[in-house]
Amino acid sequence: MVKLFMENIKKNDFRHFLFKMFILLAIVFLLDYSIGNILSYYYFKQQRGSDYLTTYAIEKTKADLLIFGSSRANHHYVPDIFEKRLNLSYFNAGRDGNFLFYHYAILKAVLKRYTPKMVILDLIHGEFSRNPDSYDRLSSLLPYYKSHPEMRSIIDLKSPFEKIKMLSSIYPNNSSLLVIAGGNAFFSKKKREDTQGYIPLSEIWNEPIKNEVRTYKYTVDSTKIKIYESFIRDCINAKVKLFIICSPYFWKSTFTDYSVRIAQELAEKRNVVFLDYSQDSTFTNNVNLFADPQHLNDKGARIFSTNVVDTILSTLGNVKDEPSEIFLKK
Amino acid sequence: MAFVPIYILILAFTILIDYFAGIQIERAVGSRRKLFLIFSLIANIGVLAVFKYYNFLNKNFSFLLHGFGLKNPIPYLSILLPIGLSFHTFQAMSYTIEVYRGHQKAEKHFGIYSLYVMFYPQLVAGPIERPQNLLHQFRERYNFDYHRVVEAFKLIVWGFVKKLVIADRLAIYVNAVYNHPEHHNGMTLLLATIFFAIQIYCDFSAYSDIAIGVAKVMGFKLMTNFNRPYFARNISEFWKRWHISLSTWFKDYLYISLGGNRVSIPRWYFNLLFVFIVSGLWHGANWTFIIWGALNGFYLVFGIITYSFREKIAKLVGLDQLPKINRLIQVLTTFGLSCFAWIFFRANNVRDAFEIIKKIFTFKGPIFIENPSMIIYAFSGVLLIFIVELKQEYYRGNFSFFNNKNWIVRHLSYSFLIILILLFGVFDGGQFIYFQF
Repeated sequence: MVKLFMENIKKNDFRHFLFKMFILLAIVFLLDYSIGNILSYYYFKQQRGSDYLTTYAIEKTKADLLIFGSSRANHHYVPDIFEKRLNLSYFNAGRDGNFLFYHYAILKAVLKRYTPKMVILDLIHGEFSRNPDSYDRLSSLLPYYKSHPEMRSIIDLKSPFEKIKMLSSIYPNNSSLLVIAGGNAFFSKKKREDTQGYIPLSEIWNEPIKNEVRTYKYTVDSTKIKIYESFIRDCINAKVKLFIICSPYFWKSTFTDYSVRIAQELAEKRNVVFLDYSQDSTFTNNVNLFADPQHLNDKGARIFSTNVVDTILSTLGNVKDEPSEIFLKK
Repeated sequence: MAFVPIYILILAFTILIDYFAGIQIERAVGSRRKLFLIFSLIANIGVLAVFKYYNFLNKNFSFLLHGFGLKNPIPYLSILLPIGLSFHTFQAMSYTIEVYRGHQKAEKHFGIYSLYVMFYPQLVAGPIERPQNLLHQFRERYNFDYHRVVEAFKLIVWGFVKKLVIADRLAIYVNAVYNHPEHHNGMTLLLATIFFAIQIYCDFSAYSDIAIGVAKVMGFKLMTNFNRPYFARNISEFWKRWHISLSTWFKDYLYISLGGNRVSIPRWYFNLLFVFIVSGLWHGANWTFIIWGALNGFYLVFGIITYSFREKIAKLVGLDQLPKINRLIQVLTTFGLSCFAWIFFRANNVRDAFEIIKKIFTFKGPIFIENPSMIIYAFSGVLLIFIVELKQEYYRGNFSFFNNKNWIVRHLSYSFLIILILLFGVFDGGQFIYFQF
């Protein structure tokens, strides 16, 4: 019967081709579905690393204070200083190499689940610069595309073809095989300790100090500005106290970074506190406080965190309709 | 390099000129034939000169005048290089030259001639076809052929593996290093250079495979463009295996026109150098490409001059008795030389290229590894292409997954390639490198 069927199929080249193509696609579909689901299962089973922290931020944390930002957020905000002095539980949702799109997508997922009391958004120089890489980086959110519809509109910014690519079960975990294996392996327990998302850096920057003054020219991406405005709007609508901060850099700049200037103007329009520490003389050119020109070491982070908490407390004290006590747990 | 719809008029302009030039060359007699050919060549080279070389030449002219304390009054043009212009121009020129030489009849059907120049699988990055091979194919009828279509799809899928899994993966490392060579040590730059050699091969040959495959699905046969070039035993052989459609174009239309090797020895060396410098310039309006071309020309001339000396040395150390080891040394030397030349091809400017070379020869480490999994994927890709090409080069008759008699093995092998793309392919951006030419 099968033999007869095959002989009939083979009589016509095109029919033969379609039949073989159907079999191939069926095999590919089965493999894609199985491998994709296995990868997804182990992705969410990770107990360490960036993916784990992203999942924790999206699905688990109930912290009063959330920190958003890139690697600079990860390394600059020391949890115990914020927790003790503000009396708020803390979680750092920052992620290395991720920018505004990522922060806003995480915020949307968090706000769908609960309302934190305070949010700190750490901005970097050139945050609004036109850079295709910042769209590509949204791939770190692909594993959440199916389970978190609130994030889809942001992830779709990655490319016009994301919806088509997502037909594959493997695609959300593309290039993640080794990371997932590492995140589930026994040796991952020996990895650097993450404290509520904060990653302290112990190094002291030992490169020769150049009296370099940095300027950075770029074109502004209007989509990023819209996302930034949405971030502010969603926090205000949810009655979350929002602080936007540009944390310290080692290098001095000749003028205020264009993104920082725009961000400050937009924040102040909506009565959101904006703190620019990027050129704070306590930090600029102080090698002892930096692990590299972009990142404070733990010592620098502690001084910076104390400064930020001081400013937050004094700011909250000055706001009559929202006294600082609102955040203080008895 | 850009796709701007209005630039289609440039194609229309050269198509019209070459179409009529072809007919006129065929009809005319005596010196008028040459006149029409020159007219066509000037139109094609003129378009290329304006869009690709005008600002480069102007910039160098400004630099020259600056040396004499003068200002350049000629303005720069704000123009973009239309996508695939160099390929299109060369294919168009090969038509009028072949008609002039009497190897090809002028095409009277305007639609068929336009299709020859704008045949979409190979329009943007070749292979650069010859009219004798392609034009007649547009007049033939093609029926669906199961085996042809399957072979074509195999080529296409393998092309995607080379591009997405290998080339674009290597590009992440190469770009990170080559865009900031000042931040990297010699060992890192050496690794990035080797990676670039593999990247550019996988990138460009992938495009050729996809183009040849797409044409084959429809029944058209395009010329082979790559033949495992990194297994070449010398630079001369390398250029017979690398971008074959361009190498043969330069050989047929420039090298032979200059006299080839049927001239005095110094003139022969000059011909070789000149052709390779022009080839470098064809790749891009930048001194890095010119040096890259010149370097390859120099390798060839040096290879010819030292041939008998090298043979004697090989005999002296007994390498002629060890053909496999001799071959290995030759292949590795050729690969090393081409890698050295690729430094100029990839570096953002000549100063960077020399800085990279200087650092490489210090052999200082450790190797930059930002993300261990990326490096593992990159090395796995290199290993994959090496194994596949090694098998094709030396063990062709042995066991094959993709041409296996058992259809289940074949189907699982094709599926494996598709899954490989989904698992390890780079899906973010990643233009084909040769689109810029």
